[in-house]
This record gives sequence, C-alpha cells and structure tokens, in this order.
Amino acid sequence: MNPGRKREKRSKGGLAIAKSRFVLGVTIPLLLYESLGVFVLGWAFILMFFNYSSGRLGGPILGLGGSNPFVGLGNFIEMVKGTSVEAGLFRISLKNTLIFAFAILPLNLVITLPLAYLLESIGERFKAFYRTIYFLPVLTSSVGVALIWMSMYDPQAGWINAIIRFFGGTPVAWLSDPRAGFMGVSVAMWAVILAYLWQDYGYNMVIFIAALQAIPQELKDAAMIDGATPWQVFTKITLSLIRPTMLFVCVMTMLSSFQVFDIIQVMTNGDPGNQTQVLMLDIYKNAFRYQRLGWAAAESFVLFLIVMGVTLIQMRLLRTDWEY
Amino acid sequence: MRKTILFVLVILALLLSACGGKTVEQGKVTLRLWTHTNNAFNAGYDALITAYQNEHPNVTIQRESFDYELYLQTLQTAMPAGEEADILQLFGTWTSQYYERLAPVPANVMTLADAQKLFYAAPIGGYIVDGVLYGFPQEFNCEYGGVLVNKTKFEAAGLAFPPQWQTMDDVLADAQALSKKDDAGMQSVAGFHFTSADPISASFLAGIKQRGGDYWNADHTGFTFNTPEARAQLKWMVDAVDAGVVDPIVFNDSTNFVIDAFFQGKVGIGYIGTWAIAEGRTNFPDFTDEWDYVYLPPIQGAPVFVADSGWGLTVSPNSKHQDVAWDFVKFVTTVPANALKFNIASGTIPAMPEVTKSAEIAEVMLWVAKALDILPNGEYLGNMPDRDLVMYEIIYPHILNALQGVETIDQALEAIDTEANSTFK
Repeated sequence: MNPGRKREKRSKGGLAIAKSRFVLGVTIPLLLYESLGVFVLGWAFILMFFNYSSGRLGGPILGLGGSNPFVGLGNFIEMVKGTSVEAGLFRISLKNTLIFAFAILPLNLVITLPLAYLLESIGERFKAFYRTIYFLPVLTSSVGVALIWMSMYDPQAGWINAIIRFFGGTPVAWLSDPRAGFMGVSVAMWAVILAYLWQDYGYNMVIFIAALQAIPQELKDAAMIDGATPWQVFTKITLSLIRPTMLFVCVMTMLSSFQVFDIIQVMTNGDPGNQTQVLMLDIYKNAFRYQRLGWAAAESFVLFLIVMGVTLIQMRLLRTDWEY
Repeated sequence: MRKTILFVLVILALLLSACGGKTVEQGKVTLRLWTHTNNAFNAGYDALITAYQNEHPNVTIQRESFDYELYLQTLQTAMPAGEEADILQLFGTWTSQYYERLAPVPANVMTLADAQKLFYAAPIGGYIVDGVLYGFPQEFNCEYGGVLVNKTKFEAAGLAFPPQWQTMDDVLADAQALSKKDDAGMQSVAGFHFTSADPISASFLAGIKQRGGDYWNADHTGFTFNTPEARAQLKWMVDAVDAGVVDPIVFNDSTNFVIDAFFQGKVGIGYIGTWAIAEGRTNFPDFTDEWDYVYLPPIQGAPVFVADSGWGLTVSPNSKHQDVAWDFVKFVTTVPANALKFNIASGTIPAMPEVTKSAEIAEVMLWVAKALDILPNGEYLGNMPDRDLVMYEIIYPHILNALQGVETIDQALEAIDTEANSTFK
C-alpha cells in the first residue's frame, strides 16, 4: 500500500473522530440543557391541574395531592366563570393585556415605519447619528425607563403637569387617577403604553431600515418612470416588498407586548384599581406573593395559548409566497 | 487484656460522642440563618450571632440575606426541596402558610403557655397555628395608631406642638389647617395622609373593633365586613377625605407613599408604623424639618386594635442540629437583654412587655415609651387563609376606591365581604 495514502486515510479517520467528538461535545450539553427546559415546562404543565402552594407539604410524590389537591380543569373553569378574587383579577388582567398589546402594535407601526422611511431618505452623514439616538432607549433598562417616565408623570413635580400648569390647564395624576380615561382606556394605561412605546420603537425602526435598504432601487425607478407618485411608490412597492419584515415585526412586537412586566411593575404595579394589571404581573403576584403556583401555571398556559393563536393569525394574514 | 480494655473504651467513647452529638457543647456545628435584607435588622442579628458564638465556640452561624421579594421566592423554592437554612426569619403571619414545613417549638425550649406570658398577644399570636407554637417574635409590628408629625408645619400653621389630641375630630381639625393646594387646585400638602395600604387596613380593622364590632364570624371560619361598624368606620374615612385632609388620588400607596411624601415635606401628619422612622432617617438624611412620632386617640372607646405579629425566628424541620438551632433562637428572642439589643439595633418595638418597659428603650426609643399604653390593647389579626391577599388586594383597593369616589361605601363593603370570604374556598 502507498504510505502516502495510508497517512491520508489515518488523518481522515482522525478528522472524523474529532468531528464526532465535537458533535458529541456540543450535542450532549445542549440535550441536557433542553431536557432541563422540558422538565420545567412539564412541571408547570402538571401544576396547572393542582391547587398547589409551595408552603404546603402536599402528598408524598413531589408534594402533589393531599393539601395540594388535584383539581383537574378546575383552575380554567374558575378563570372563565368563577367569582373568586383571583378569577376576577385574571379577567381584568387579560382584558388589560389585550388592550395593551393591541394598542402597542398599531402605534408602534405608525411611528416606526414612517420614521424609518424618513431616515432612509436622509444623507448618510446624519443617518447613523439619528439611528443611534432613536435606538438608545432600546439599550436602556426597563427599570431606568420606568423611573424616568415616573418622574415626568409625577402629579406635583413632573414636567408634563408643569407644562399643563403653564398653559393654565388642570394637572392630572397620570399614574394614580382611576377616574381619568381616554377612548375608554384609563389614563394610567395610556401612560404606561407611551413609556413602553418610547423604549421599544427604536428596535423595530432599525429592522425596517434594513428592510427598506434591501429593496432594489430599480423597482422604484421603474414605477416612477411609469408615472407613479411617491405615495404610490411607498404603498404599492415599498409596503408590498417589506411584508415579510412586517410579519416579523408584528409577531415580535405582539410577543413582547403580551409579556410586558417590568416597566408596569415599577411604574404602577397594576394600579390604580387594577387598571394596569396585566397577565404577566398577575402571574408573578400569584406565584411569588400569594404562593398559588398551580393557578399561576394555569394562567401561564392561557397566555401561551393566546400568544400562539395571535402569532398564527398574523402569520396567516401576512404570509407571502414570493421572493425578490 | 489491656488492649481489649482500651478497645472497649475507644468504642464506648465513640458511641458516647455519637449519642452526645446533639448537645450544644460537643462537636463542631455550623448553622445557616436566612433573613431578608434590612441593614438595621441584620446589624442586630450579627451582634447576637457573635455573642452566641462567644458563648458556644463550637457553633458557627452563617447569616445569608436576600432582598425581600427574592427571599419570598427563595423560601418557596427551597422549602419544598428541603434545602432551606436551619433557622429562618419569618414574618409572624406567614407561619400559618408555612407551618407544615416548620418545626414546632419543643416543650423543653418553651411551652405555649409560657410563650403567651412572655410576649404581647399580637406578636406571639402569629406564631401559633392550631394551638401549636412554631417560633418566637422579635418585634411588635404595630401599624395602628402611630403617626409622623411635622413640627415645622404645625408651628407654621399656628398649631400646638406636640399635639394634644383627645379625639379624632381634633386630629382632623389640625389636618385641615395643615392641608395646602397649589395654584392649579392640586393638593400639595396632605394634612393627614392615611391613604396608604397599611394605614387603611389598620385603621379600618381597628375602627371596627373600637366601635364594638368584629370582622371575624363567631368561629373564625369567615369574615363579616358588611356590618354597621364597618360601614361607620368607612364613612368616617370618606368624610375625612371630603373634609380635605388628604386627596387620595395624589396621595396613596403608589403615588406619594407616606414615608417618601412625609420626608419630602408634603405631609403634615403621616399614618405609618414605627418602622418608618429608621427608614426615613436613612433615606432622607437631608430633610431639615423638625418632626416627631406620636399616637392617635381611638375613634371611640378603648384603643383596641389588631396587629399582624412581626418578624421573628423559626427552625426548619430539615435541620440536622435542631436543638442547637432552637438554643440560638431562644437566646436571641427570649432573653430580654438580647432582645433589647436587637430592638435597639433594628429600631423595632419589642415583642416582650418586659423589654418595652426597660429604661434603655425609654432612653433610646422615645416613641416606644409613648406606645406603652396602647400596646397591651393589641390583638392578633387572626390566621387568614391569605393575609396579603385580603389586606392588599381586597381591603385596600376597595376602600381606596370608595375614598376616590369610584365605588360607594355599600359597594366597597359588599365587595370586601364577598371577596374576602372567597379566600376560604
């Protein structure tokens, strides 16, 4: 046998062994990590069928049963037609979460898309500067953002009321007046929506800018030659071509809106009168303040179903079967 | 033969040391103590840990502290796994939620009857579930009746200081004189800020008691919040708001919380427990107004009130050195000299009458001396299925709604009664 071939064969074998070692080295930790995640999800799935509290001993197997009794679908039935405090709070939280999410999405799109279009049309010199400015809130922690907006909303020392006072208006307790509302939604909810929008819009804007940059200029030029107005170019060419990006933005914005927690916890903690109590906050309070882990797990499952349903609907409505 | 005797002696010594492993004096023992993060409290614990370790050189106690919210989460995850510390700092009212996972106090440490003689009824009540004692309190958490008063504002308004209130009407009269509004009509100084969660619950429940009613049914299996006494008390609170002593839209738990607002000069009289004194001094060192802490007169009759126990120490049934753990807990909580040190360090009202009446407390904690007359009137709140839910998600929001004009008095009482009773299901 040719010694050169032998060496080559041996070295190929060594490479194959190294590859398989690498695959094993990466796969096994990943599988272990994933199995941990599956275990956690599985535990949450089991808990939602129990009236489980970590303070109680319960039965001999994982504390299930006994003083942590099996309730079957009882938690879900209670959510729909129960008269308990937690059932009432769940329904209020669900309603507030839907208001929050369905207000955030259109408002976000109305702000980010035109802004991205405008930024795309200005000179390269200023583009990076403005992009950085608009993206800065995204990099700021939610707690910091909440504190900034709380100081602005302060009924006595906040500058929003200072401006209102300057023009002779009546100041508003933005985060604590349960009587104040606009379009059927409490002022406190609008106040947290505004703060969240401010923090979040830079992210979508950067994604839209990337999508706009990917549209071939020839398509727009051709439309203009054919007599299309700038508005027609925007609506017929640009909007159509960024549909996949729009889908991504809509799905991600909805997901994060349904899971909003920290900014609301810091700004209002659900007040006034539960008008800003959202599902994630309710789940957190039930799990860690009131020790109703079974109920909290059931709420989490409902939130998961809602988010999945809304995402599937969005994917169906905004799907495309072409590429450019 | 000598070898055999030596062998037997070694075996006997080993057996004896194994049997005696549970005594405090023999063998190295390391215990963990979990507390929530509170610098004043933990300074008190550290001093007593050092004192105990000096007396018991074989014992090491490691204190681990967690932020309040994290502590709740840690307890809830560690206890089911049996991974909690040997000694746990608990708030008394939590005992009824965790008692299945706590070790009862052994009779040789202290009997229930002796504990009831040693401590005030309200703080020890939190550590008793179904007639079994699960720990000892270190403080009397009294949310009822105490108010921060701003001397500078009193004098500026031409009011007598210290206030000589005989009735709650006297308090309201001073509060009206202290209240101020800005040019736009928004309240800038609350004369009497009683609209945070704890003061609302404490004054509501005390008011029911002082008017001769009760919020428990006869056998403590349900609540009775929709009563004439409760209605009278809530009406009194609504009338106080209508009189302009506080605007509950601008002054409540989430906006202008009483401690923050008081130490920013926005409150004349601020209803809050004594724990606010240490917190105010720490967080607002630049506050220049002169102030004091005094007690309100009862709404009528005797100053009966309810209190929800206080922080104290319990022992895990999973501890391998329960006897040492209980010895430490007893040393810290039931020895008057040690309890005194802790209360002075933490700025808390002592749970033992003997300590409360001590000369040292009278010298260092003047507000405790002022409370001597009312503390014996304190009754334990009672073991509720979910105390936090009843106080913070039912009583406080509905009463605040009534004060803010979102609900009527009848609607608020009916909702409190229905929702609070639903927690028994």
